[in-house]
Amino acid sequence: MDDTLYREELMEVYKNTKNRGTLSSPSVEVLEKNPLCGDQIKLQFEIEDGVIKNAKFDASACAVSVISSAYLLDKLFGKTLEQAKKITKEELLDTLGINLTTSRVKCATLALEGLKHALEKYENTKK
Amino acid sequence: MNDFPILDRKINGKELVYLDTAATSQKPQQVIDAISDYYREHNANVHRGVHTLGDESTEIYENARKKVAGFIGAVSPSEIIFTKNATDSLNIIAYGWGLKNLKKGDVVLTTVAEHNSNLLPWMFVCESTGAKMEYLELTPTGTLDLKTVESKITNRVKVVVISHASNVLGTIFPVKEISSIAGEMGAVTIIDGSQAVPHFKVNVQSIGCDFYAFSGHKMLGPMGIGVLWARKELLGKMTPLRYGGGMVLDVARDSYELAEVPGCFEGGTPDVAGAVGLASAVDYLQNYGMDNVRKHELEITQYALDKLEEVKGLKILGPENAENRTGLITFVIDGIHSHDVASVLDSEGIAVRSGMHCAMTLHKTMHLPASTRASFYIYTTKREIDKMVEVIKKAQEILGR
Repeated sequence: MDDTLYREELMEVYKNTKNRGTLSSPSVEVLEKNPLCGDQIKLQFEIEDGVIKNAKFDASACAVSVISSAYLLDKLFGKTLEQAKKITKEELLDTLGINLTTSRVKCATLALEGLKHALEKYENTKK
Repeated sequence: MNDFPILDRKINGKELVYLDTAATSQKPQQVIDAISDYYREHNANVHRGVHTLGDESTEIYENARKKVAGFIGAVSPSEIIFTKNATDSLNIIAYGWGLKNLKKGDVVLTTVAEHNSNLLPWMFVCESTGAKMEYLELTPTGTLDLKTVESKITNRVKVVVISHASNVLGTIFPVKEISSIAGEMGAVTIIDGSQAVPHFKVNVQSIGCDFYAFSGHKMLGPMGIGVLWARKELLGKMTPLRYGGGMVLDVARDSYELAEVPGCFEGGTPDVAGAVGLASAVDYLQNYGMDNVRKHELEITQYALDKLEEVKGLKILGPENAENRTGLITFVIDGIHSHDVASVLDSEGIAVRSGMHCAMTLHKTMHLPASTRASFYIYTTKREIDKMVEVIKKAQEILGR
């Protein structure tokens, strides 16, 4: 099968990503849901002086959601909140490099939505 | 089955295996031709004017109504309202009958397995009237115990809303018995027959229900046409949902007189070609024979149940035997999300449905995030089931953790 979605290196990320797990004392966490398919991703961030020091996700979700979460968190380590906000949907889809049908683009961008909500939530608690 | 041109298509370079009939069926050439013939030869607006084409079109439309009435055993064609689809039919009941007849303290009794289309109109009615939703729980194999029904039907229950067959579990519910229990308590029974009418013989009179709804597109007909059947005396007590052309007899400056049933429920230009397509689908199914449809699906479903049971880590939802099911099987696989199963199957040309199938309440009740559904029809073969099972095993190899 040469379907790019299930190619080996992506399956490796899906099965063994180090970004999966939970943080003991996150600065902020969100539970992002895709009501259409029932996917859920919990995102947690440790933020210090406006910089993302650590991040984990845990998911009851499909491979596309899991892999995109793993890649998104990879991008976030050491980034300032301002930099994190600037990550676009296109950039994330480009990193994934998967040819996705329209219905599954939502799976790939669920984590990004979660990031946006987490940052909003964090900033609101700081006000 | 070479009556279905789309089945010759290649998907991702592979032969299409279409296992998503519960979402919508494919259409035979006969139905496609009937629709294009109508537009080529007879197109004109119905019930208006005196010209020949207008007459022809009206006759064709009314003949379609007669055909559908006969197909489901209605007392007369005037009990058949053409709608857009089952959702539309169910909303017409909720708005036209529910809002008028329910009040605070009344109960709408339904099951945890309902499709959103059969659930949300009644949640809306409850919000608007102060009535309350109550749910019938199912047994672990997805069936409904009549004792549960009897214990839940109190004199506060004004409406029982239930699907004839579940679009997720496949369960065929005992609608005849339920209608009878409900009738004795003075409650009205509303049945969503979307997953039943395409698959086995349905007779609304022998069921004894009050309202029955279904879609044309799941039974070889085109999208955009559906049916609402109701007892004549109930139709007379309903308020139309759409006011406008075609549904009125006379209009003065400050009054109007509604057209007779069923015309008063079909405001606006109807989907005549859709009705023609649906009538052609009924012809096709009657020629094939509804008993043969059922026989074929029983065989395919039992075959698929047996094959899927052999797959390790795969759990089938719903009744154990094909006899208690319509032609669909929904399953979950340990450690693999249903979208991934569907994507791997799609890469091999096999179309199944993944997600919650518009039955979120049911998935929440079963604590499942999502599931995968394979659904069958007269064009489904055992070879296709073998192919699906083979690719499911492949998906387990690729994605299994």
